[in-house]
Amino acid sequence: MVIDMHVHPGFFQDICGDRERTEMRRQRYGLYKTSPCPLEHTLAVMDHAGIDKSVLLPLDLTTITGEVVISNDEVRTLVSLAPDRFVGFASVDPHRKDAAVELVRCFEDLGLSGLKLNPSSQRFHPGDAIMAPIYELCVKYDKPILFHSGLSWEPNAPAKYARPLEFEDVALEYPELRICLAHFGWPWIEETVMLLIKYPNVFTDTSLLYLDSPKDFYEQLFKKNMGPLWVDRNFADKVLFGSNAPRFRPVRLREGLEKVGFKPRTLEKILGLNAVHFLKLEA
Amino acid sequence: MVKLKTVRLRSVKEFQMIKITGEVADFVAQSGVQNGLVAVITAHTTTGIMMNESLPCVEEDIEEALERLIPKDSSYMHAHFLPSYGTTGGNSPGHLKSMLSGNNCILPVQDGKMVIGHAQDIYFVEFDGLKMRSYFIEVIGE
Repeated sequence: MVIDMHVHPGFFQDICGDRERTEMRRQRYGLYKTSPCPLEHTLAVMDHAGIDKSVLLPLDLTTITGEVVISNDEVRTLVSLAPDRFVGFASVDPHRKDAAVELVRCFEDLGLSGLKLNPSSQRFHPGDAIMAPIYELCVKYDKPILFHSGLSWEPNAPAKYARPLEFEDVALEYPELRICLAHFGWPWIEETVMLLIKYPNVFTDTSLLYLDSPKDFYEQLFKKNMGPLWVDRNFADKVLFGSNAPRFRPVRLREGLEKVGFKPRTLEKILGLNAVHFLKLEA
Repeated sequence: MVKLKTVRLRSVKEFQMIKITGEVADFVAQSGVQNGLVAVITAHTTTGIMMNESLPCVEEDIEEALERLIPKDSSYMHAHFLPSYGTTGGNSPGHLKSMLSGNNCILPVQDGKMVIGHAQDIYFVEFDGLKMRSYFIEVIGE
């Protein structure tokens, strides 16, 4: 089982009927030359990369830009088109007065499987008191949170909100809440490593390619910035495969990971088994 | 007279030779041009238009020769973040293979038909799949 934990579906043709809305997504994500693709192409790209399931992430910026960039209902629509291939997450702008109501609707009515939050583009500090009702709902419904962490290429998204240390209070105060700090929190890798080693409920994903080719960048991350055996020895259960598609091509990131030289069992866990646990798909 | 057609397709492999001879010949026949030229031109920088013999062994040799010349992993300068795209350049091999292949082919049109050698076929060649692609067929003549 291979699971891509980090896919932005803004250019899936089935939710791109409105040209202005598609152009808005290009600007919000900073993906200026990305075009809509039909579902059969998306599934073919997944098949080519050997990916069984992709986790689809919406984005609610209601109080920041006045836009829901990708809505929860749009994600629900996409999951319904290929329920065996897609896992849908929710997004709520934490500054919305009805954020908790919308989140309950996502979990109860739309059947979404987790929550994506982006402190940088949604402009909140993860440890802020306004977040408590949202975290409590995720604990109540046993849903994980995927946080953007570290550098964001989105144009209006300062990294200061998403520095890994910002998430320590969340990990500490909500030990039952599974949280994934996406992108390894790059460039603050040591902070991410500190949280991974200390808190059982903290995970990270591999959706980072800020410099170089996937092979070169992962070699730098996993063999130089980190000790060469740190993942095998300490974090084999904590790293989830994520591509950040369409910004980075899933097959390239998978090939890059396969060239790092992890133990086969570690690679198997990174590519899918850890996500099965994080998403509680065992049943 | 000038007639232009845009053809769209979806590549399903990273390297894929897609034979388009029939598509081009059909458009020439429908164009109304009796004598002139037909040009086939790709719309992309990581694909090519190639003419060669349509034999599986030849296609395999072409793919392997290009891979030997331009391996997937090398120190390509294109492998960096591209702000104008918002993505990281990961397809330098596709650009270089496209350079070797060329982006077009031209054939004569005589008596309303495309003129082509008995061993020749026209290929749209994908060097950076899987992608949504397009190419142009333009017939120019009288």
